[in-house]
Amino acid sequence: MRISRRKFLDYSGRAAVGLTIAFPLDCFAQSSARDATRVFQPNAYIRIGSDNVVRLWATRSEMGQGVRTLLPMVLADELGADWDKIVIEQASPGPPFKNIRLRTSGSGSAAGTWHPLRVAAAAAREMLISAAAKKWDTEAKNCRAQNGSVVHLSSGLKLRFGELAASAALLPVPAKPPLKNSSDLELIGKPVKRRDGANMVSGRAVYGLDVRVPGMLQAVVARCPYLGGKLVSCDPAPALKIAGVKHMVPVKRGFSHGVAVVAVNTWAALKGRQALQPIWNKGPDSEFDSSSFTRQLEDSLSQSGYPIRRQGDAPAVLAASRNKLDALYEYPFQAHAPLETMNCTAHVQEAACEIWVPTQCPEVAQQETAEFLGIPAESVKVNITLLGGGFGRRLVADYVREAVEISKAVRLPVQVLWTRDDDMKHGFFHPPRIELLQAGLDDLGFPVAWMHKSAGPFLSILGTPTAEQKKNPNVYAEMGMPWGLFDNPYNLQNHWGDFVPVDSPVPTGPWRAVMYPSTVFARESFLDEIAHAASIDPLELRLRLLEPGDVLDLKDHQVERSRLVAVLKLVGEKSAWSQPLSHTDDGRLHGRGLACNVYDEDCYLAQVAEISISRDLSSLKVHRIVSAVDCGLVLSPLGVQAQTESAIAWGMTAALGGRITFKAGQAQEHSYSDFKVPRMNDAPTVETHFRQGSPMPGGFGETAVPTVAPAITNAIFSATGKRVRRLPVTPETLAKT
Amino acid sequence: MAEYSLHINGKLHRVKAEADTPLLWVLRDNLGLTGTKYGCGIGVCGACTVHEGGISARSCQIQIADAAGKHFTTIEGLSPDISHPCQLAWMDEDVAQCGFCQPGMIMEAAALVRQHPHPSDEQIDQAMSPHVCRCGTYQRMRKAIHNAAERKS
Repeated sequence: MRISRRKFLDYSGRAAVGLTIAFPLDCFAQSSARDATRVFQPNAYIRIGSDNVVRLWATRSEMGQGVRTLLPMVLADELGADWDKIVIEQASPGPPFKNIRLRTSGSGSAAGTWHPLRVAAAAAREMLISAAAKKWDTEAKNCRAQNGSVVHLSSGLKLRFGELAASAALLPVPAKPPLKNSSDLELIGKPVKRRDGANMVSGRAVYGLDVRVPGMLQAVVARCPYLGGKLVSCDPAPALKIAGVKHMVPVKRGFSHGVAVVAVNTWAALKGRQALQPIWNKGPDSEFDSSSFTRQLEDSLSQSGYPIRRQGDAPAVLAASRNKLDALYEYPFQAHAPLETMNCTAHVQEAACEIWVPTQCPEVAQQETAEFLGIPAESVKVNITLLGGGFGRRLVADYVREAVEISKAVRLPVQVLWTRDDDMKHGFFHPPRIELLQAGLDDLGFPVAWMHKSAGPFLSILGTPTAEQKKNPNVYAEMGMPWGLFDNPYNLQNHWGDFVPVDSPVPTGPWRAVMYPSTVFARESFLDEIAHAASIDPLELRLRLLEPGDVLDLKDHQVERSRLVAVLKLVGEKSAWSQPLSHTDDGRLHGRGLACNVYDEDCYLAQVAEISISRDLSSLKVHRIVSAVDCGLVLSPLGVQAQTESAIAWGMTAALGGRITFKAGQAQEHSYSDFKVPRMNDAPTVETHFRQGSPMPGGFGETAVPTVAPAITNAIFSATGKRVRRLPVTPETLAKT
Repeated sequence: MAEYSLHINGKLHRVKAEADTPLLWVLRDNLGLTGTKYGCGIGVCGACTVHEGGISARSCQIQIADAAGKHFTTIEGLSPDISHPCQLAWMDEDVAQCGFCQPGMIMEAAALVRQHPHPSDEQIDQAMSPHVCRCGTYQRMRKAIHNAAERKS
């Protein structure tokens, strides 16, 4: 069975343990909604009490994508609830949510919850209407649910949901309730602001680090700096001399081995850690160096690799072409570096455990904890806090494992804080990649042969294919990987794509946009190179290569080229692509660049970046990024705009400064001082324009990331004639280009 | 461990702490004021920003021994009812995504509009660029600061 790319992330690694994609009707397994007499709870998502409050269980973690605003929008529309009477509860793994997915990944907070929640809300609505109709001795069709009440249409009589809760609870739950017509939805598609704005601006929002449990101790971990290194010994005496330090605990269950210093407050724990002088066994990878690894990746391009795309005879046509172009692109290691560092609060008790954690994978956290402690999963209570950024980093529960291990040792509630340095050096990383692009060109400069070979590590924390699986030459193609290479949308008659997996000792895994960034950077840069070499407009070239606007059929994965054509035309119009750039008389070099991509078959996006560079190349400014987006039905336009802005900042990090380097088996960067991220003075004006090419919502949290780097580097070429093929680009690297 | 007196949000607090304890951890661990965030501990992200006498300051860089006797305001004390122009403007412009950096950002912005009631884009860049937002809410924050300036006048 071929696993689709998004599902791969859902199923992989520990996520495979007992996790299934939510089947919307599973929650109706119960025969009726009987509960306490005055409470109406027809399913796992919704509870309505006699106080008229509608409780909604959020089945995704809030990490900035606005899911705690989006879900109530869906609920209020389908149920007819009063917006101000909705209270959000956070779903946590347990019996009510058996078979309902709580994992937050794959840009699926909207696309993955939309239908199940609508069905749940529609069922509740139908039951409330039936209860009211019974009271009024009329038929359901004469009643409507709106604004927290059921209204009798002809008489105007009204009953609040709270007044109907008890009688609705006695009715059978409809298996297939009718959904509203989209024209009857009042909030979906409208600019609805975040519901949690007041908490966000007042310091009341509770993140993982804000959890306070009575009797809780604070811990930090002295972590082995070497990849795969181990603790040999550590004299606890210097740390125990620090006032407030209570315990020292060896830690083995995270990515790095270490020693936890457990203290009565954070500062004591930090000072205790500083006082330690652990002796480390450097392990087998203490020579690992990311520059050498880049050369290793370049050397690996001589291997044939695994076939990913095979159309026509690209090598023969390339060999026969009089005009050829080839280029090598590099994408380095990246860290997630969310502003809230990893942390977890755990309280291991006799045959039970409670966890408070900002996580994207609560099911995994629960399952792993239960296995480690040898207790049933139901005995592990996982409380999901707000996440101070997720970006994929919180899809792994390594930091939960550590906290449980430490609390188990001291038998008290413990909050484990990762310092920024810990967070920067000891996560899993976005893997580096080298991409080789080759094209044979016809007399007009259009590509007639296209070869793309991508070399780099597979995502190690998700489990790489076994040696046996690797004997299958189609093992990666069958998984639809690497993304961006597998689903290259262009209509290239002789088109070969190959992947050369090269393992590294560095833990690697999903980072916002996962596998697309490097392949899309290379592909969209190379198209720009072809366009400039042939003096063809880069937008025109892309439109030509998407003719005739048909559907690219990759078995269970379809790319609708017409939708990509439409967003390309839209971004051309909105960015005034055919007009010269304005405001270019400031003595700087100005340029404009284009890139586009199809993200996991359901989101189509084109971007234009406008930049300027000082003539001495010392300062680069991204002025404006215009995006044209077709992610199907837009549930929350403000949300999609915010995610575009956010994804652009993310993409700019990788394009313009962020990278992780390894020397002597150790990550070198330690904070935002040497891992450069965009700041206020770097931020461009971002414009997002929509086109709807599907009635279903597509995922959007990651979509706008991959195009940012090539749009910017193509703009740099247009301004300076310098072609950036290795990221990040800085004034120093640009001067040498 | 010594005892220190300091004024937080208009109230006098006595705390027992080691002399070199950063104000950040006193606020969070001793006083339970968790709105002030830890982001880097070395003053390069701005998440821990508070006011000292109306001027923005990094609470991770102030030792309790130096804070004694001084007056600080944290995000919890910026207004009694979320009515500071910056807070209102932030909600109006729908700024926050994950929200973790926002208390520090708002404290910085509040100090900026206090000093410059109508800050220019250059002044906004200068004041806000020492801060990190990984969700990239910069464009909306810039709008919110201009919005707050309008509210004040």
